[in-house]
Amino acid sequence: MIQPLHETPPARAIGWFAVALAAGALGFTITGWLAGDWMIDLPWAPSIGLRIQLRFDGLAALYAFLATGIGLLVFAYSTGYMPWHLEHQARPAAHARRFWAWMVVFMGAMVGLAASQDLVLMFLFFDLTAVASYFLIGFDRQRREARGAAILAMIVTTGSAVGMLIGAVLLNAEYGTFSLPRILAVATPSAATTWACVLIAVAALAKSAQLPLHFWLPRAMAAPTPVSAYLHSAAMVAAGVLVLARIHPLLALDPRILDGLVVVGFASIFVGGLLALAQDELKQILAYSTISQYGYVVVLYGIGGPAGAGAAAMYVIAHGIAKSALFLTAGYVTKATGESRLSRLGGLRRVMPVVAVAAGIAAASLAAMPLTLGFFKDELFFAAAISSGPVVQLLAVAAAALTLAYIGRFWLGVFGGNARTAIEPVPRALGIPIVILAALSVLGGIVVEPFAALAADAAGVINGGSVDVSPAYHLDARPENIMAVSAWALGALLLVAANVRDPISRAVARAGDRVGPRRLYGLTLGSIERLSEAVHRAEVRDLRTSLAAILVPTGILAALGFAATPTEGSYVVGDIGVADLPLVVLLVLSVAAGLTAARDTGRLRPVLALSVLGFALAGVYAIVGAPDVALVAVVIETVLTIVFVAVFARLPATALVDPGGASRRGLARYRNAAAGVVAGASAFAVIWAALSRPPLGASDAGAQIGLTPDAHGGDVVTVILADFRGLDTMVEITVLAVAIVGVVSLLRRGITE
Amino acid sequence: MTPIVKVVAPRLLPVAVIVAFALIVKGYTDVGEGFGAGVIVGLAVGLRYVVLGPERADDSMPFVRRADVLATGGLLIALACGFVGVPLGEPPFTHHPLPGEPVLKLGTLELTTAVGFDIGLFLLVVGVVVLLIRELSRLVAEAGS
Repeated sequence: MIQPLHETPPARAIGWFAVALAAGALGFTITGWLAGDWMIDLPWAPSIGLRIQLRFDGLAALYAFLATGIGLLVFAYSTGYMPWHLEHQARPAAHARRFWAWMVVFMGAMVGLAASQDLVLMFLFFDLTAVASYFLIGFDRQRREARGAAILAMIVTTGSAVGMLIGAVLLNAEYGTFSLPRILAVATPSAATTWACVLIAVAALAKSAQLPLHFWLPRAMAAPTPVSAYLHSAAMVAAGVLVLARIHPLLALDPRILDGLVVVGFASIFVGGLLALAQDELKQILAYSTISQYGYVVVLYGIGGPAGAGAAAMYVIAHGIAKSALFLTAGYVTKATGESRLSRLGGLRRVMPVVAVAAGIAAASLAAMPLTLGFFKDELFFAAAISSGPVVQLLAVAAAALTLAYIGRFWLGVFGGNARTAIEPVPRALGIPIVILAALSVLGGIVVEPFAALAADAAGVINGGSVDVSPAYHLDARPENIMAVSAWALGALLLVAANVRDPISRAVARAGDRVGPRRLYGLTLGSIERLSEAVHRAEVRDLRTSLAAILVPTGILAALGFAATPTEGSYVVGDIGVADLPLVVLLVLSVAAGLTAARDTGRLRPVLALSVLGFALAGVYAIVGAPDVALVAVVIETVLTIVFVAVFARLPATALVDPGGASRRGLARYRNAAAGVVAGASAFAVIWAALSRPPLGASDAGAQIGLTPDAHGGDVVTVILADFRGLDTMVEITVLAVAIVGVVSLLRRGITE
Repeated sequence: MTPIVKVVAPRLLPVAVIVAFALIVKGYTDVGEGFGAGVIVGLAVGLRYVVLGPERADDSMPFVRRADVLATGGLLIALACGFVGVPLGEPPFTHHPLPGEPVLKLGTLELTTAVGFDIGLFLLVVGVVVLLIRELSRLVAEAGS
């Protein structure tokens, strides 16, 4: 069945290696869960209280199961899907390597995030998932919409994640630690705690694509289908609710936050659900469905308590399994038919019966039909809603009805009705994961205990105390069952009454386009871009403004530095003796060279004059006792002179005519002079201060010179660079490495392959 | 180009490497450290490019083709030396042996992890300078042809 593919063995081998890796990770997760609560605790930056604190508790187990289990199935699916995807786009098969690398990074980050107990570590993994998702969403980088979608997802999720870091710092200021268990042990309601929780919650909600920061998710459907199936069903969006779960005991300190979660959650359920009803593209339906489904989880966190926590955990499991199966189905159908729109599909149950049944089970699980795992998620959801009053109950029933309606429309649209398209064979690797996920849904519908145990373990962490999660079938008229039956009836009605439902959902879509947050985002981004453009143009208009943009801020910063530094003993004009003669000669030479560079109208002479100036200053450093600085100055001056001469040798022989010369009288001339004076004055002040050699006294420099022998060194400059200030040097050379990557890609004009 | 340059340039690289080596070895007791040493080697490589042209210079120094590996390797060595103690609970850039502990000596050179850091820095700088020279020389050669 597999078509002959022009594929190099490495790309395929890497795919199977990734599958093996995911299988290993799943095995690790299973043994980790069975082994019970255990943790890794390593110091990271003890001086600022950071630790690498990973704990494999119930919550970590649940999300690690999702990340590795669904990861394994999606990886297996991708081994069949990616070669076709790349061939379809006329790209070399080797491009799949990038896909695999980022998928594996993503899986690792997700497992790390699940187990993180340190707020800063959590933030790092949180952003690592965003970085990986940027590359995965933008995997089809030749497509403009994929690139736009990637950057949109990146900006929305990492932009709000900054709030998470601020929240972590606020909590650290309040409780003196970044370690979450220690914060939870001592946390009390306070304004700072509330603000920190709000900031972290906003970051988490944006990640889980909740209103009003949901708009990145539908556009992220530009990603290849396996990416959507993994990131946008069970992993990336789950990272948000995972963070909410981790800090839930903190959120529960302020009831206003919980109420806010209920409001945001229901808004997401209904807006997402109504918009899902209006979509034509398969993956768009599923994307809006994800917004809606994570709304349920957020509502449950808002309801809180053991019932809310247990239901939320169960919801995440059931939804992850069902939704990834449906995403994979969408990819399967598109591969088989070449179509991705509901309006052009239909009747596929006859030609792909197995997938139709599997997708039907996944859809039924999402719609909470009996004999599927999904039934229990709604049972627990309703049970939690019952404790929260009639409004929440009514909304809960309406939400479940909406889910049934849109997912029913999805399945019937694809598999029901008459066939409209021709079918191509599909590799078996694409069908098997869907069947396995559907089988899991049915298994959970019959033997729910293992899933309930996993959910109970996680809910214990969320709730901060043990939780009993024991869903079961009850054939009686208890409120949960009545709510479920009314939801099915209402949903079926919505499904049938297309002429009522369609105008409403279209109206919501139109209203969203006109006044929704996406428009606001676009306007904000547009104005920031215009501002940046204006600054950029002012900066690089000509050589003079480019130089001024470097020299003037440097001068101002140096002046500010001097304002804050004691300068006693500096700026003294001492006596000049015979011993100072070489110094004076070098300084006179420097002045002469400086004047030549400024006044000479030639081309090569100013360059050579500048290099004379540099060498003369190097000589001055050597004489006043800074041989290390002199050595670096000499080698750098040599490089600069060579580069200057090489560049000037390539200039055209004819004289350069300044087109703006006539207009650069008046104000512009004074501006140039002012920039020159600011930069020159600051350089003058810095060099004079350096040359006046104030007594060391009790300065930092004195202390460091005193410590040098302890560092097994005799030369204080080297010891400062490699030891005392080693971290600074490390950062600087890292910048150097990054800069050379940028320079090389610019010189190659961005062509790397 | 004078005959002297043509004769001297290709023979300057070993000398530069020795000078650089001396700078690093002496660095902890006397003037010099990895950065200056790296730039000196870079200059000698650059001189070969000026004299021989990009292609012949590439052929005469096989290692320059992997300047990116040199730079990355240097960065990794520096990172490793700086953060070796972090998993053991030490702050970054805690160099070993610690103050007061005995240290292995090679002549005047005392072998500490700080010297390893300096060597990493040296390799990074050599890699960066060589990368830059190669790219620029290729650009010049393209513009010339």
